[in-house]
Amino acid sequence: MQDISYPINDFGPVIKGMVIGGLGIFHVFLAQFAIGGGMLMCYFQWLAQKGRSAPARRFLDGYFKVLVLVSFVAGALTGVGMWFTTIQISPRTIGVMVEEFHWIWATEWTFFCLEIAAGYAFYRCGKGLTDGARMTLLMLYTVAAWFSLFWINGILSWQLTPGGWTHDRSVWSGFFNPSFWPSLLFRTIVSLTIASLAACVVINAIGAFTREERAELIRRAANCLAPMVLMPLLGVWYLAVIPEDSRSWVQGGSAAMTMFMGISVAASVLIGGYALVGLIWQRLYVSGATATLLLSLAFGATAGGEFVREGVRKPFTVREYLYSNAVKADELAALRRSGGVTADPFPLRNAGAYPTEQLRLGAKVFRFQCSVCHTMSGVNGLTHLAGTWTTEQKRMNIAKLQHTKPFMPPFAGNAEELEALVQLLEWQTAGRPGRWDQSTDRAVIREVQEWLDEAGTAPGTEPHTVGGASPASPDTRQPGKQEGR
Amino acid sequence: MDRMLPFGLPGPTAFYVSLYVATLAVHVVFMNYVLAGVGYLAVASFRGKRKGADGGPVELSDVLRDWMPFATSAAITAGVAPLLFVQILYRKEFYTANLLLFHRWMAILPLLIVGFYLLYLLKTPWIGGQSAVVRGVVALGALACFSFTGLSWTENHLLSTDRASWPGLYERGSMVYYHPQLLPRLGMWAVGAIPTMCALAAWQMYYLQRKGAGVDPRQPRNLARLAIAGVLLSVACGAAYWRQLDASAQGHIVGKAAGPYFAAACFGLVLQVGSWLAHAPRSDFRRQALMVCTLGLALTIAGMTAVREAIRLSVIDVSPLYAQHADAARKGGLVVFVVFFLVNAGLIGWCLCLTRKRSESATVE
Repeated sequence: MQDISYPINDFGPVIKGMVIGGLGIFHVFLAQFAIGGGMLMCYFQWLAQKGRSAPARRFLDGYFKVLVLVSFVAGALTGVGMWFTTIQISPRTIGVMVEEFHWIWATEWTFFCLEIAAGYAFYRCGKGLTDGARMTLLMLYTVAAWFSLFWINGILSWQLTPGGWTHDRSVWSGFFNPSFWPSLLFRTIVSLTIASLAACVVINAIGAFTREERAELIRRAANCLAPMVLMPLLGVWYLAVIPEDSRSWVQGGSAAMTMFMGISVAASVLIGGYALVGLIWQRLYVSGATATLLLSLAFGATAGGEFVREGVRKPFTVREYLYSNAVKADELAALRRSGGVTADPFPLRNAGAYPTEQLRLGAKVFRFQCSVCHTMSGVNGLTHLAGTWTTEQKRMNIAKLQHTKPFMPPFAGNAEELEALVQLLEWQTAGRPGRWDQSTDRAVIREVQEWLDEAGTAPGTEPHTVGGASPASPDTRQPGKQEGR
Repeated sequence: MDRMLPFGLPGPTAFYVSLYVATLAVHVVFMNYVLAGVGYLAVASFRGKRKGADGGPVELSDVLRDWMPFATSAAITAGVAPLLFVQILYRKEFYTANLLLFHRWMAILPLLIVGFYLLYLLKTPWIGGQSAVVRGVVALGALACFSFTGLSWTENHLLSTDRASWPGLYERGSMVYYHPQLLPRLGMWAVGAIPTMCALAAWQMYYLQRKGAGVDPRQPRNLARLAIAGVLLSVACGAAYWRQLDASAQGHIVGKAAGPYFAAACFGLVLQVGSWLAHAPRSDFRRQALMVCTLGLALTIAGMTAVREAIRLSVIDVSPLYAQHADAARKGGLVVFVVFFLVNAGLIGWCLCLTRKRSESATVE
């Protein structure tokens, strides 16, 4: 088995998902603005060339400066930041993604280089170029930006729906996975939407336009919102191809997932309704304040959508391959025997705070298995979630974790480690007293081991078979035991 | 290693090491331009007088101020490729160093964003109307952001090669790592950035000169002085760095593994100094001398980047990673990458050609 030990950092009362989620939402919003912005600018350049919109050219040059300042700086650096942040949250996850798809990422990089080159060429020289040269540069910029989405979308959608990759480990089976196309098309429309709404803000912010010119430009920009009518269809397509259990989270199975999905859908409906009825059909004028509000709604929709996309992968970060606590499905059986933290070379930072060796072991188990999604007493804190359980309940629920909550991964350690974690939870719930008795009863360990064996190592998202055997991990089959529920 | 890098390594490892070194060398070119350029702007902003409406003859600071945001963007973009390959080659080491430095490491991202925006601010007409102190503070702010990034990268790199220190550093929760090599190594790369900036800026001024823009005739001499000072200082820092290296690393540098690269880098320095000496007494930039300088620069950067890798390979036992590299090499997508690399490189060239298609009616920015 690979060396799986990395130093694990503590983000205080904040869970790691909030850190990566916060940055991810911000980055996705900026990146999609850059992609949609290219399409929108091609449209305005075409309008200018054909003489269909007198102020289009002036707007375009102003809009492009905003795009460069926002996207080329904050967008590009938050992209690099996503890599660094993912390393902080789950080095094994990003390691798997890079190893599997490094040539895809390298290919995406060549498009990113083209995007930067075409963008800066237009930024520096655009005003003085012929219409043909301007359009060509904008087209190159747009194609490059969209292809960046194309490549990254394949990697991100693979995490939830790895498709044929699960069996053949082919990069292309994983890349062109079941949710690739609906996700790509959906994101393309989202990009156009964000760019159009941002355009309405910029049109109002540029003081050089008359009221009539603004109305004209807003009407043109609103045309790019029309593809939003396809979003419900693409959304349904996406939901249809994701795994059944993931779909169930957003359909009431998880209150948080359902709520965020609702926020995303509601915000999209509001934007779409206003755009289609108000801006396109009624040809209403939109002020800077309203445009900013609509753009903020779009940010909310993006945030909700990204939260759901990340959340519905649970208990995996790569479906059927890597659990959210960075344990590979095929490593579980070995970790059940050897222990999850036996080989961890990194000591505790505050070992002296724990009165017994067993609690120190429990703290290491928490750090290794739980801390990626939970804090001890802060957001999603274990003492809040499990503090009221009896000791016996804690032992059984954690031993059968994937069945206690199907979006939880199976416990990745031995019975002693599980008991140490239970004792840590008890000690924390008791207010961290200075003295604490070690739990040394061998009968308890045997009981925990039985529960671990009953639960097996297959994910809880699969139908619970006797012994919990998983088709994906035949070596993890346990001797058959009757389910004790 | 008893053979010249990367030939002493198994095929997949050698392949990724070569890609890493090649892409890192490209990144270093832009990085050097930005680091040294911002440093120069900081000094020049404090010292320089505000220009009049006519602008006056073109000086180095004008060119740098104009191109610095693009160069920063290019440096960041070019940095993505080596960042990708280092994760294939030294995943465990790189990730662990990232994690150990934690917030200290992650701070480079907001600081790079701040530094980047300060460079745009330096280009605005508004800042041109401000006092030297205000302009200097803005440039100094950008320099501080990029210098912190350079320090953090050096720290990260050294920490990644010092496996023995990992558990202790983690236990202490310290986000600062000090190694005796840190300062001389950082100094060598930082002052070594000056000759790169001088060479690239000289080309820019050469083309401005050809276009008939009024380039300040003192610029060749000033750049020559600056570049030669940069070379001498980097040699001094390099000597200090050498003293901190252990015998094994020193043996790699002058031995079969990296000796040819080290020799090429030294020869490159000689070429650079020679071409700058030829420029020093002149009032214009000469194409032939700049080509010699550029050749020297290419040899120095490529050579030193390879030497850098040889030093790392002398410290890290890379043999357990051979199987991991071989696994990565079996993954699909290489052909697609090569095809799009060529296509997109051609399209980037086309973009440059398109910028020459000036409209007769339009005004030139």
